[in-house]
Amino acid sequence: MKKIEAIIQPHKLDEVKEALIGIGVEGITISEVRGHGRQKGHTEMYRGTEYTVDFLPKVKLEIFVPDARAEQVVESLTAAARSGKIGDGKIFISTIEEAVRIRNGDRGEGAL
Amino acid sequence: MADNALQILRLSARLAVAAGIIAIMLAPCLGQEGPKPDPAGLATGDKTNVVDAGGNAFVVAEPTDKAAPDYAQKKKDFDEFQAQAAKEPLAVKLADATGHVRVATNFAWTLNTGYLVLFMQAGFALLTCGLVRKKNAGHLMMLNFAAYVFAFIAYYAVGYAFQFGAMAVNAAPGNLGGTPTLNHFLLGNGLWGFLGGKGFFMAGPAYDAGSNVLALFEVVFMETAGYIIVGSICERISFWSFLLCELFIGAILYPVFGCWVWGGGWMSQLGTTMGLGHGYVDFAGSTVVHAVGGFCAMALSVILGPRLGKYGPDGKPRAFPAHNLVYVVIGTFVLLFGWMGFNPGSTLGATDLRISVIAINTNLAAISGSATAMLFWYWKFGKPDVTMACNGMLAGLVAITAPCAFVGPTSAFIIGVLAGLVVCLGVLFNDNVTKIDDPCGAISVHGFCGVLGSICLGLFADGTYGAGWNGVGAASYLGQTGRGVSGLFYGDTKQFLVQVMGAAICAGWAFGATFIVFKVVNGVKSMRVSNEVELEGLDVPEFGMQGYPEDAISVTAS
Repeated sequence: MKKIEAIIQPHKLDEVKEALIGIGVEGITISEVRGHGRQKGHTEMYRGTEYTVDFLPKVKLEIFVPDARAEQVVESLTAAARSGKIGDGKIFISTIEEAVRIRNGDRGEGAL
Repeated sequence: MADNALQILRLSARLAVAAGIIAIMLAPCLGQEGPKPDPAGLATGDKTNVVDAGGNAFVVAEPTDKAAPDYAQKKKDFDEFQAQAAKEPLAVKLADATGHVRVATNFAWTLNTGYLVLFMQAGFALLTCGLVRKKNAGHLMMLNFAAYVFAFIAYYAVGYAFQFGAMAVNAAPGNLGGTPTLNHFLLGNGLWGFLGGKGFFMAGPAYDAGSNVLALFEVVFMETAGYIIVGSICERISFWSFLLCELFIGAILYPVFGCWVWGGGWMSQLGTTMGLGHGYVDFAGSTVVHAVGGFCAMALSVILGPRLGKYGPDGKPRAFPAHNLVYVVIGTFVLLFGWMGFNPGSTLGATDLRISVIAINTNLAAISGSATAMLFWYWKFGKPDVTMACNGMLAGLVAITAPCAFVGPTSAFIIGVLAGLVVCLGVLFNDNVTKIDDPCGAISVHGFCGVLGSICLGLFADGTYGAGWNGVGAASYLGQTGRGVSGLFYGDTKQFLVQVMGAAICAGWAFGATFIVFKVVNGVKSMRVSNEVELEGLDVPEFGMQGYPEDAISVTAS
């Protein structure tokens, strides 16, 4: 099993969601997060005083899939989330040891 | 035992002194001959209240001064009126009814505009809450709420009496029936009154229909001054010391200056006593309300010091951006709406048709103030700032409040432009030069622009309104019949002088009195919350709950 964590631009969420559902992904968890990569922040003015906006709003998706599906999900996600500009985000993939469905105790890929 | 007895003795002595002070205050209200209060309003408004558009009375009064040169003529007019009245009793009865309706019209107007001013408190609450950080939102709302409650208690107990207890002596509000029972100065007398002395606890002589209209309208003005300080002292003041500030404003700071200018006190009579124009004139309170609040806020802000982290180690100001611009803009519009009561309502009567001019002037200054602030920021910093656009509108409103009845539309627009500039420069000045931390810009909006408004009256008043104001020039002024309050640009230098002087007295009084009293309070016990509380946000430490509780993950057993 793989965990695919993707940090994307908030305005790309709808497109990404449709793309993933389109290829049959069943579960998606998202959270609103703030941060920056190489894009860094920018400065603004408030009542004549400058301040920096270091951490920009982003959306983080977490998707858990069987090993065989991981590559397809990453490709589809990358295509949907890309605008070609700096700040599009990143995807991290890691291996998952075990999964448990709380309702009935199913384990492994059957619980996904 | 001996100690206990001594303590009881001391306590009794203090109680006796307090009772004595109260007795002295109440003495003029009890067992005195003179006009009786009219709680039912049945006797308020009769033929004596019937006047034509120029203010000339229907009833011809009997002349009392036999030495006056026109005594014979006046006596003849009086006798003729008496003879006619005797011949036409029905006309006299109709005049009684007309007078009653006239006063009733003015009651309705003044009460309803007062309700609009009351709604401004909601505007202030939204505006100030939106301008601060999220972690203090609940605290801000509680300050705004408690201000209304506690300042009202102080004004009810003594403030109203201090301000208007001698209203009938020099400034009887004819539109409301004259409030003849409010006729005693506690300090001073005649044209040199310093403190009103009737109507404590709004009882006795103030338990009167006319007086209660005045009380309702004026208490919401006092509340406005009480709310202004919130914008400067928020995010760091403790609740208990804030309550002391509100009691101080409602009982002393606001009523004293209010008595001097609106209660028939010494400043309003400077035209008669020292030949200074129409005396100090402030139509709806640029200084009486706003500058008093603004400079009180300044003194408190100086005593409290800036919020933690407002200035970096290099002394440069840091931005704490507003947490909700939606509140800021809605709050500003609520204030604009309320100001339609604040200024036009200050005629205390709808039978004064100047109300429409006042309403338009008020709006013109609001939009030109806001436009100026937006464009200034656009030009200086590349982007117009929403919060400064709102401050600009309020600045225009504050500045037009004193002159709104006495100027024309062009002047009103110009006054708004000046106010828009003053508020922008004032905010930058306080942030960068004086380093007085003023989170919502209250000092610039209400203090600086309040003074500006009073001075603008002394410049732009065009003489078309206010003939006979403060008892000056009823017959003619500056050689013209019907000439009213005039400014420097319309030939009255002395009016300009008295306006500058009056505004300075206002700023000095509000800043000085507040600074002395609360420097002492702060010396006894710090008025600021602890650093830990300030960093956490004041909501939970002070009131045990958050402004936005869903922000915290709550773990409660169900």
